[in-house]
Amino acid sequence: MSALGHYLEEEGIATVAISLIRPQTENTRPPRALWVPFELGRPFGPPGDPPFQRRVLLAALRLLERASGPVIIEDFPEEDPRAQPDPAWRPPPVPSGGASVEAVAARLDTEIPLLRGAHESWRARHGRTAIGLSGLSIADCGHYVADWVRGKAPPSPRDGFSPPLMLRFAVDDVKAYYLEAGASAGKPSSRQLGDWFWNETAAGAAIHALRAACLASDDERLKLIAGNFMVPAARVRSAG
Amino acid sequence: MTRLTDLPPAQAQRLAELECPDFKTRPWVTGPALSRRRVAIVSSAGLVVRGDNPFRGRDSDYRVIPGDTKPEDLLISHISINFDRTGFQEDWNVVFPLDRLRELAAEGVIGSVAATHYSFMGATDPVQMERNARELAGRLKRDQVDAVILSPV
Repeated sequence: MSALGHYLEEEGIATVAISLIRPQTENTRPPRALWVPFELGRPFGPPGDPPFQRRVLLAALRLLERASGPVIIEDFPEEDPRAQPDPAWRPPPVPSGGASVEAVAARLDTEIPLLRGAHESWRARHGRTAIGLSGLSIADCGHYVADWVRGKAPPSPRDGFSPPLMLRFAVDDVKAYYLEAGASAGKPSSRQLGDWFWNETAAGAAIHALRAACLASDDERLKLIAGNFMVPAARVRSAG
Repeated sequence: MTRLTDLPPAQAQRLAELECPDFKTRPWVTGPALSRRRVAIVSSAGLVVRGDNPFRGRDSDYRVIPGDTKPEDLLISHISINFDRTGFQEDWNVVFPLDRLRELAAEGVIGSVAATHYSFMGATDPVQMERNARELAGRLKRDQVDAVILSPV
C-alpha cells in the first residue's frame, strides 16, 4: 500500500495511506500514513459505526493538509470497540457428527441448508452478502467442496476457472456464507466467529480435511492453494 | 484489537520483515485545502465488482470500481486468508469508505468524490504493480482527482 502511494505521488497525485502494519510502513516511508490499531482486514475500524469510521477517515485526510513532509506517520488513538467479544452472542446450532472424511462431507451437505434461515436473517439485517466469487449457488459450492473432500477431484463447472481455482473460490463462498449466518444475531467479534466456524462446524472440519488431503497430493498447484489459501495461519492444526 | 503481537509468531515475523521497496526518492505533492480536493479510494483488498474478473493470484493489475457500485455488488477476492473479512461482510465502509466520503463531500469537508475507484491485490510484489500504478495515475488525473486514500487489509 505504501509503495502504491510512492508511485502515485511520483506521478503527481497526493496520497495518504492507512497503515495496519507499522513496521512495513516505517520501512517503505510513504509520503503520509495513518497507522491504526485495528485487526488486519479492518482499515477503517468497526462495521456499522459511521462516526468512528469518519474519525479514522478524517484523521487520514487531514494529513493531506500538513505542510511538513515527507514522511508523515501518525497513530490513530482509538481502539476498535467491535474487537471485543459479544458475551450475549450465540451461534446458530449445527449438528455434531463423525470426523471421518465421508462423515464430514455428508455433514457439510446437510449443514448448509440448515443455516439458510440464519443467513437470510443476516441478509435482511445488513442488505448484502459477500458470497459470489465462485458464481455458484451456495448449495452447489457445498457440493463442490464436499466432492473434493471425498477425493473426487471434480472438474470445474466454469469455463476459464481451473479446478483448484474453483475450489478456492467455492471455499471462500462457503466461509462467507457461514460467517454471515453465524453473525445473524448479536455482534460477535471476528475471533468468536472464527472459533465457531473452525471448531464446531462441518465446513470448518471439511476445509481442514481438504487442506490435509491436498497437501499430500502430487499436484503442486493444489498444494500451493490448500497450503496457503484455505486455513488461516492462526487456525492451522499441527496434525493437519 | 490486533497488533503484530496478537498474531501467530511466524505470521507476525513474516509481515514485519516483509521485504519493502527501497525507494531512492521521497515524492511529496501538495495541493489545495481539503474542502477543494477530489478524493478517490485505491484499495489493495483485491476488491472486485460482482461479475467482474476476480483476482486469481498475485496479479499486478487493478480492478475498476465505478462510483455507482452498490454495496451488495462489491466482493473481496484477495488471496490471503489471514485477515478478517467479517467486518467488510457487514459493512463495506470498513474497507471501502465510500459512504463516509460522500458524507464528507455533502458537508463540504472535502470537495468531491471521484467518479471511479480502484483496487489492486495487496499480496502482489509492489514492484510488479509499478507500471499499472503509474498508468492509474493518468486515469485519476483525467477524473480531476488530487487526493487518494489508500486502503489496505
